[in-house]
Amino acid sequence: MLDVLHQLGGGFAGLLQVGNFVALLVGLVVGMLVAVLPGLTLVMGVVLALPFTYGMPITPSIILLTAMYISGTYGGAITSILFRIPGEPMDVPLLWDGWSMAHNGEPARALGWTLLAALTGGLITATVMVTLAVPFAKVALTFDSPEYFAIVMFGFTSVVTLGGGSVANAFISLFFGMLISTVGVDEIYGVDRFTFGIGMLRDGIGYLPVMVGAYGLGEVLVRLEQGFASAPMTGTVRVKTRIPRLKEAWSIRGAFARSSVIGVVCGIIPGAGATIASFIAYGVEGQYGKRRRELGRGIPEGIVAPQVASTASVGGHMVPLLTLGIPGSGATAVILGAFLLHGVQPGPQIFDTQAALVYQIFASMFVAVFGMGLLGYFAIRPLVRVLYLPEALVSVFVIMFCLIGAYSEHNNITDLWMIVVFGVVGYLFERYRFPIAPMVLGAILGPVAENAFLTSMISYQNDWTIFFTRPVSGIVLVLALVALLFPLYGHWRRQRAARLVAAAR
Amino acid sequence: MRRPSARAAIIPLLGLVAATMLIPVPAAAQDKYPSRPIEFIVPWGPGGGADQVARKIGQLLEADLKVSLPVVNVPGATGQTGHAKLLSANADGYTIEVMTGDTFALAAMPNSPIKLAEVIPIGILIQQASGFFVAENSPMKTWADVEAEAKKRPLKVAITGFNSPDDLSVSYFAARGMKLQPVPYAKPGERYTSIIGGHADLLYEQAGDVRNFVDSKQIRPVIFFYGSKVDAFPSIPTSTSLGHDITLPQFRVVLVKAGTDPARVKMLSDAIGKAAQSPDFKAYLKEQYADEASYVPADKTQAYMQKWLDEARHLMAAIAAKK
Repeated sequence: MLDVLHQLGGGFAGLLQVGNFVALLVGLVVGMLVAVLPGLTLVMGVVLALPFTYGMPITPSIILLTAMYISGTYGGAITSILFRIPGEPMDVPLLWDGWSMAHNGEPARALGWTLLAALTGGLITATVMVTLAVPFAKVALTFDSPEYFAIVMFGFTSVVTLGGGSVANAFISLFFGMLISTVGVDEIYGVDRFTFGIGMLRDGIGYLPVMVGAYGLGEVLVRLEQGFASAPMTGTVRVKTRIPRLKEAWSIRGAFARSSVIGVVCGIIPGAGATIASFIAYGVEGQYGKRRRELGRGIPEGIVAPQVASTASVGGHMVPLLTLGIPGSGATAVILGAFLLHGVQPGPQIFDTQAALVYQIFASMFVAVFGMGLLGYFAIRPLVRVLYLPEALVSVFVIMFCLIGAYSEHNNITDLWMIVVFGVVGYLFERYRFPIAPMVLGAILGPVAENAFLTSMISYQNDWTIFFTRPVSGIVLVLALVALLFPLYGHWRRQRAARLVAAAR
Repeated sequence: MRRPSARAAIIPLLGLVAATMLIPVPAAAQDKYPSRPIEFIVPWGPGGGADQVARKIGQLLEADLKVSLPVVNVPGATGQTGHAKLLSANADGYTIEVMTGDTFALAAMPNSPIKLAEVIPIGILIQQASGFFVAENSPMKTWADVEAEAKKRPLKVAITGFNSPDDLSVSYFAARGMKLQPVPYAKPGERYTSIIGGHADLLYEQAGDVRNFVDSKQIRPVIFFYGSKVDAFPSIPTSTSLGHDITLPQFRVVLVKAGTDPARVKMLSDAIGKAAQSPDFKAYLKEQYADEASYVPADKTQAYMQKWLDEARHLMAAIAAKK
């Protein structure tokens, strides 16, 4: 533990370098801006920032992206509360109590609760991350390919069932993503798959064009169809933030504690994430909170729960990314990309090979949390002005950044076509209510799953039971199965109840 | 409500415009070469030997050619995935690749996907001895221990990919009655984790690539496949000293696609020659436990690779005969 503190001290010292500090500051501001704009999701923001890091050294690159990630979980809450415009999907629960409280004439108080919640969630998640990462890496060292396979499977089933909506559609989306990821030369035996003799398909389809297309271009197309008619702006930007008293905050400590745990756990599970954490935390508050009956009418618990959970998920996400090299979300996949681009492979050995870098990232998280708070308190008014930009104009920039960003990754025209194709796919998915997240996760983790599966089979003489007989992989696979069957069980129970009711009539 | 002035909205917009200018937008192909970044394909994951040498030489070339050489890691299928990427690019000198002996060994097979005629080698950067490594806490301490243990139970060997020299070396000993199970890990990080985490019993690697694990006493070599003793490890036996006719040293060569304009090829190979002779690169070779005379200029590379290939074929025939 002392060693960790010592290393962390070194990390803080490293932040004093101008480049790192500027990266942190830029990341915070840009993350906040991206979160405020409803047409630009946080994941897209991180994707679009990636090309800027190509020419930077690795430390500021990662600091920039993680700072964006953390402040991106906060900015959208402000527009939810003030204008009833959720900047990010994770800010939707804030419409209920946050906007109600503002509507009841207490916007300053609502903003204060959000700020406190984001600060608390951020500090808890950064602390958990620092304390968990080293022991987690030690445990991760004992993970062989069957464990990696099981973890990825757990991620797949969670993204399918936690997303809400149709499970069947989520599965279709997931399998489509996995199918895309098999295009190209296979990783173990070098066989061409789904290339149809087309040279450019031999390269395979990277997850970046899939993400940029589906999230970025797809979203623009959806909004274009709606004629860029954003919700009318009601409310005011002229309010200040009023931080709640310590006594008030202490009285709802239960909400803080519950949602911190939910946030961190949802972060660690690949496939879950800020949005899911935010909804679950709000739901749990509605079931177990002391004032659950008043939820939705503008009580602090309803603001605190989703906000704490969103921000707390960030550190949770960073743990498997750093210690296993498994990205559990779009944003962390991009951060992984930045690591690889600079020649660093995250994994259990990263604390041996890149300790200084890891601790600078940790230190930057703490500073980022405070920076985010200060920014939210003092600079939020100028920042939310971006909402006055005509949306068509913003969309043009989004498209331009999508294309430039994807092109500069490989200087490859093929990638631009891929973006257009997946832009249309994303639009159709959105249109016909297929969730996009499972497809993206399938494209990101599909190759990880396949590789882990084949390596396990080779390593254990084609004995498939190995996935269930090794303790960790067995337990994780059972959890994955439970995650999958649980909603089906609920569905069956509801149907049975309906049948019984019908029979009784 | 007061409507904020249009000026206020313009400021973030200007920020966006300024930001776009920071992205290096490559100019259209011009007569002057190189006029835009040269993509440097590494057909292995980050952190391994191929990656390290590409980043090192890329940095030296950048200073000379005045363009950047971004490294792109394309791991998979013993380097074939990355090689496919070179072959699908234009033959304009803006895509180069570092190929390793692992991938080149595939050329020794009939119907091989790797053909020397499809590429132009422009210089060998590094030659190193490969060896088998064990974890420091493994009960096997010496090569004799390994030989004895492999008679009793199958040992897992972490290798880069199938049909690589790693695989050939494993087959060579398997054909001599040792129970060895090769397991391919294309990503160096996974390969190193497998030996340190105890998932594999042996690791086939070059000492320089895993220097930090060797120095921090997590793994140790038990045998090197080389014609002479490796200077830094005088106590470790070599294949030749134990009477095994198997060396296949690791080498890493820079390639461009066949059909590239000879003037551009010459420009690149000259720049590589200059970089390889720099004190900076010499120091790097020493740090990597590599042969000091590693560099082979472009005009001699083809012959070197042909000779290496003959040796690999010879080894394959020897393995087949023994089976």
